[in-house]
Amino acid sequence: MTREDRFAQAGKTAVMQNVHGTISFLLAYPPFNLMEHAHLAWLVEHAQLRFYAAGEQILHPQDGPVQQFFVVKQGLIRGERLITGQQEPDTTFEISTGECFPLAALIGERATRTVHLAGEDTFCLTINRNDFVSLFRRSLPFRDFALRGVSSLLDQVNQQAQQQASESLGSHYSLDARLAELTDRAPITCTLDTPIRAAVKLMHEASVGSIVITDGRQAPLGIFTLRDLRGLIADAATDLEQPISQVMIANPSHLPSSASAFDAAIAMTRQHIAHICLVDQGRLTGVVSERDLFSLQRVDLVHMARTLREAPTLETLVALRSEIRRLVDSMLAHGASSTQVTRIITLLNDHSVCRAIELCIQEQGDPGVAFSWLCFGSEGRQEQTLHTDQDNGILFVASSAEQTEQTRQLLLPLAKRINQALAACGFTLCKGNIMAGNPQLCLSASEWAERFGRMIESTTPKNLLASSIYFDFRVVWGDADAAERMFQSVLKRINGNSLFQHQMAQNALLHRPPIGRLREFILARSGTEKDTLDLKIQGLGPFVDGARLLALANGVTNSNTLARLQALRAAGVIEPLDADAYVEAYQFIQLVRMQQHQVQDREGQPLSNRIDPDSLNHLDRRILRESFRQAKRLQASLALRYNL
Amino acid sequence: MNPLGWLPKRRADLLTDQQRQRCTQLPRAQPLDSTALSATRLVVVDLETTGLNVHRDRILSVGAVVIENNCIDLGSQYECTLYRENHQVSESILIHGIAPSAIAQGVDAADALLDFMTFSGECVFIACHAAFDQRMLLRGLRLDLGYKLRHKFLDVAELAPMLCPEANLPQGGLDDWQAYFGLQNSQRHNAAADALATAEIMLILLAKAKAQGLTTLAEVKSRLGQWRRLRHARVGSF
Repeated sequence: MTREDRFAQAGKTAVMQNVHGTISFLLAYPPFNLMEHAHLAWLVEHAQLRFYAAGEQILHPQDGPVQQFFVVKQGLIRGERLITGQQEPDTTFEISTGECFPLAALIGERATRTVHLAGEDTFCLTINRNDFVSLFRRSLPFRDFALRGVSSLLDQVNQQAQQQASESLGSHYSLDARLAELTDRAPITCTLDTPIRAAVKLMHEASVGSIVITDGRQAPLGIFTLRDLRGLIADAATDLEQPISQVMIANPSHLPSSASAFDAAIAMTRQHIAHICLVDQGRLTGVVSERDLFSLQRVDLVHMARTLREAPTLETLVALRSEIRRLVDSMLAHGASSTQVTRIITLLNDHSVCRAIELCIQEQGDPGVAFSWLCFGSEGRQEQTLHTDQDNGILFVASSAEQTEQTRQLLLPLAKRINQALAACGFTLCKGNIMAGNPQLCLSASEWAERFGRMIESTTPKNLLASSIYFDFRVVWGDADAAERMFQSVLKRINGNSLFQHQMAQNALLHRPPIGRLREFILARSGTEKDTLDLKIQGLGPFVDGARLLALANGVTNSNTLARLQALRAAGVIEPLDADAYVEAYQFIQLVRMQQHQVQDREGQPLSNRIDPDSLNHLDRRILRESFRQAKRLQASLALRYNL
Repeated sequence: MNPLGWLPKRRADLLTDQQRQRCTQLPRAQPLDSTALSATRLVVVDLETTGLNVHRDRILSVGAVVIENNCIDLGSQYECTLYRENHQVSESILIHGIAPSAIAQGVDAADALLDFMTFSGECVFIACHAAFDQRMLLRGLRLDLGYKLRHKFLDVAELAPMLCPEANLPQGGLDDWQAYFGLQNSQRHNAAADALATAEIMLILLAKAKAQGLTTLAEVKSRLGQWRRLRHARVGSF
């Protein structure tokens, strides 16, 4: 053995002996527990150990692009951001032992957006950016972790940067893929006066299923598909030399190319179509067909919606409903997010409700008066899970008191029948009798306005509770105009009533997120609910209540919590970074809740919103804790806004 | 019969030419001058020995961890078990846990110490109860290499109570300070792990020193002098 060899050997022994301790520390935390041993050893051999005294600044937005990757070995890191109009900086996140930062800034090759401080005396393992990049390339679990949504919660990630990184680092395909990525060829187009035969020839030569009819500026005027051709050929009298404008579908459905695969699938499901034009700034840039949405076809969504909408009898509808459960299972298995799943469930529920109403009208005979079917609560917010109650009502238009009473008597029997039909479809009858079959919920537009007005003017606890149900409101079936006009006037009254807003704010602070000062979960201490917390009331509640209050107070008409948050972000009521964090936290809690429901459903247990956080894996537990912290921040901002 | 046969053997006389040559090329010592603490190479050293008698016992293994720019580079650590002829098992094995078999496989002592001094480079040594390590190393280098150690030592067991009087641990050892700072360390009592534990404490002490306005080696040295005098005065007044 030469001297150099021996020297190297001695070094290796040392690294083996001591580095081992660091590796076993890392093995207790994700993603390190999933990484290959050789990669971990490589990480530690390239790591430095650093100490930061409490209060010491570690990263600052003005430091320029981040040069190091940090793992907290012991201690606590705090992310702080100065909010305009607030003296004290706001803690936006906390990073504790075993957690890493700043993933987004490293991947995005930029400075952090947040000041990172040592919250207490802290040791961090660090590796240099270049070593981070090699590890990112070598280790799949590490890469997955770095790109996962968790980082955005912990770090207010620039999602764009993340997405681009994931594209360049490996092909990735999901429901979130942008439509522009799914269509790789230019659309086939022709003009209004092109003969049908010539248009079909163009389609045939390009072997595509659709052609878009455009004007001189590439604005889409109509679409013609193979399905339409089938209809034409079946009709022997068709003249194939006539211009295509005679047979095209005018004003084709369109989306911007930045929309997601999921948006396209939803649009196709809603409108029963198989092609969507991509239009940017008024010009056609592509066409997406049902076939392009390969991953969504596997979950059979479009087919499902069609069958529901065309169910010939109530019995068929009831039978089809059980399929929804299987569909949700499959969507969760394909990695759909909670928002996607709730939107699908809502969409399919809407189709079911519409079909149930139509079938009941067929069965009972048309009452001969127009009415709109309203829904409230979670259905109104489009946030249904498998576990859903009926909260609905009817709105009709009447000109006199006498006519009002007459119409109500005409509609009530039908409404009761619809409630029963929906119960058969699995929508549990409402215990509080908030159902259209109740005469107090089968009202004319002016009666509804009056009823809502009373809720706003006299803020009794009962009225406050009612407003939290009724003001999440939406028209599912029938004409929406009358209802929307009525609701606009309600919004105006809320806007001018600060007492009502104040009471709503108090109400929104009623349920505190279940985390304590020491950042651990607060669990029920005894009884059958021992060691559990309520995901719906304690977790989602603060977001739902907060978003409702801010939406109503600021004239935002959306009823969906996420849509409300986004509208409030756009209106400047909530800071963009805050809104994004709330949205993500809300989605994550909803996802945990939904996964639990699926498991309970599969095992034949009653669906419950209570969860034992210890039943979650380490990573999910951390994200859940962080999500609750965001709920706490939202409540704190309400308290500040309404001086509570 | 050699009347001085009971004295430890000076193996330095038996060095090879190559070893002698290496000995002359060892880096110089870092003086306690105006060099900034953050610019100093600090080598945290921990020795495992056959016992606690600095006149008779010998070095069994050397562990070292480097602090540079206020951080520990986990990739450059040093640990080596020294080869000793006729090593007798003593009660000390219960502390250091080095099996006689490991010592039989160890690196030739002269080579190991040369490697260690090369690794250490132009540095200041750090240790807990440094006087012991300093004297063991001094004697080991003299006997095995005929080399005079001029490197300076800073003692964590002095720096810690000086910088953290509020801890009230005037006689604290490695375990006490580890507990005081709430440090977890799984595999104590092998030389490298002890060195790492000492280095972690040193990182904290460097932060404290900076907070108390001590930035250079000379400032630390003069502050230590004052602190020792003050302590002697206090002890004397009892």
